[in-house]
Amino acid sequence: MVVGRETIVRARGIVTRFGDTTVHDGIDVDVYRGEVLAIVGGSGSGKSTLMREIVMLHPPTEGRIEVFGEPVTEMSEFDCLPLRRRIGVMFQYGALFSSMTVLENIGFPLREHTDLDSDVIDEIAQLKLVLAGLEPKVAARMPSELSGGMRKRVAMARAIALDPEMIFLDEPSSGLDPVSADALDSLILKLKELLGLTIVMVTHDMDSLWRVSDRVVLLGDARILGQGSMQDLKASDDAAVQRFFGGQRGRGAAHDSDGGGR
Amino acid sequence: MHDVATPAAEHGAEAARQPVFERNGATILLSGDWIVDNLSATAAAFRRLRLQAGPVVFDLSGVTRLDSAGAWLVHRKMRAHRKNGAEASVQGASPDAAAILQLVEGNGPGPGEVVLPPGTGLFEGIGRQSFGALDNYTDFLAFIGRLTFISLRILLTPMRMRWRIVIDELVQAGFYALPIVGLLAFLLGVVIAYQGGILLRQYGGSIFIADLVGLSMLRELAPLITAIIVAGRTGSAYTAQIGTMKVTEEVDALRTMGITPVEMLVLPKLFALVIALPLLVVFADIMGLFGGMVMSRALLEVSFTSFTERLLQAIAIESYMIGIGKAPVFAIIIASVGCFQGLKVTGSAESVGRRTTVCVVQCIFLVIVVDAIFSIIFSRLGI
Repeated sequence: MVVGRETIVRARGIVTRFGDTTVHDGIDVDVYRGEVLAIVGGSGSGKSTLMREIVMLHPPTEGRIEVFGEPVTEMSEFDCLPLRRRIGVMFQYGALFSSMTVLENIGFPLREHTDLDSDVIDEIAQLKLVLAGLEPKVAARMPSELSGGMRKRVAMARAIALDPEMIFLDEPSSGLDPVSADALDSLILKLKELLGLTIVMVTHDMDSLWRVSDRVVLLGDARILGQGSMQDLKASDDAAVQRFFGGQRGRGAAHDSDGGGR
Repeated sequence: MHDVATPAAEHGAEAARQPVFERNGATILLSGDWIVDNLSATAAAFRRLRLQAGPVVFDLSGVTRLDSAGAWLVHRKMRAHRKNGAEASVQGASPDAAAILQLVEGNGPGPGEVVLPPGTGLFEGIGRQSFGALDNYTDFLAFIGRLTFISLRILLTPMRMRWRIVIDELVQAGFYALPIVGLLAFLLGVVIAYQGGILLRQYGGSIFIADLVGLSMLRELAPLITAIIVAGRTGSAYTAQIGTMKVTEEVDALRTMGITPVEMLVLPKLFALVIALPLLVVFADIMGLFGGMVMSRALLEVSFTSFTERLLQAIAIESYMIGIGKAPVFAIIIASVGCFQGLKVTGSAESVGRRTTVCVVQCIFLVIVVDAIFSIIFSRLGI
């Protein structure tokens, strides 16, 4: 562990129950500034729920979460507002506002939260669109006219509209073809480098885990089964971790990554 | 717990460092946090700032934080100055600030490069509207044709009808509508008896209140009010339900399984409403007459017994049958318009909302028009 890393999210003893189902049973997670943290786990292991809890969309049943040092689990909705502006979220299916054009979607947070002139907002929105790797002409389209990959990129552009310090990505590469998924991985790395973003992503995609993540948290059986870099996890002796990363898919992705990276 | 600076304290300090700028001859000195949260006040003033002719230098050495919005404002200013043929440059930028400036310069739109949706001109708008409306009507006719065809086929083989769904829909559209239909019909009866009663009493013909309430309720108002409530309640629900299924591709899923959406989604609703609406009208008749009776007794001292006796003498059974006879026609209108609009939904949540509005407006419009046509036909026939 690098000394002096700033912890911007600190979750302690998170317990989440839906009725009789216990999704998390005492989970501790930290997010350090400037890293790409991936949350992985099987379907139904509570990855997305954990993310929703950190971004203040769903309160955990028990436990304490601090975001940028503020105890969000004890704060009112109103007090959370300034914190929310420092966080961008990209939802799994984009969650673009269907009645607005792409440019309006990206400019929406700017329009709501600042008094900047309309033409400046449009220009900044257009800038974010290009940063998210889309062609400028996409700006005039409606969300219903976009492909899945484009929709995710627009959602990404909207998530970085207010220059947040941290963004959350829910399954950024799911439903994308390999080329688009690779491009999105590169985009994540580029944004991290250019904007100094801290990125938390929920993913299933072994290739993107190897390529972009600095640290991985593996959820399962309502607790953390393992955490560390992909190399650490790959080398782990833990049976549950091995089951997850040692399968055919995990090995294939690791092999590709070894070939290219070393 | 103590890694670097406590973020809370850092955040507090941030708010204090307002972005400011100062002109010092050819040098513009910028300082503070040029980040999107703080820019609102400064941006407008910075935009108005007039630069002197000739080379200008933006000194960023006092800038503590710069994000892409702040960098964009600086870039914009420099761009405008360069457009006048003068030089503009940056000095004293921290490595981070220089990187972000480079980023926005490299990726931001040039002047006039923001892509806005093409606006539609007046004539283009009229044309699109007209052809859209025309398309809608032809589509609706086609839908009615298909519906009729499939209905006839189902009527020949009633076992293929999804009776289970029909019964569910009956409960939803019929049974659950009873309270609201009953209440409104009752109030309507009260109002008619009250308004008419005052007039009739002046002429000493209080007993004719039964004629007034009976005829107007049974023949016109009960079917109409019921159809309007059902259009708002059930027609809109049909559009929203089918529309949402369309957005989530459930309709396409049905189609791939070899089940036509009309058979699965539309017909059961149509059948259920054709059964439910006349029954609701009967209920509305009863409640409306009851409302009239209550008001007559209170206002005109016409007892329940004399009201009923007069009602039986004055109102022919035809009036009652005409009222109920209109109901299935209204039901067909509401169910077919509701389902048609639902199937017309494309792509987005916004479309569901728009189609639902259109459905209710069209249903009520058509119900009233058809009611007027019925009146003309019946008066010609002398019923």
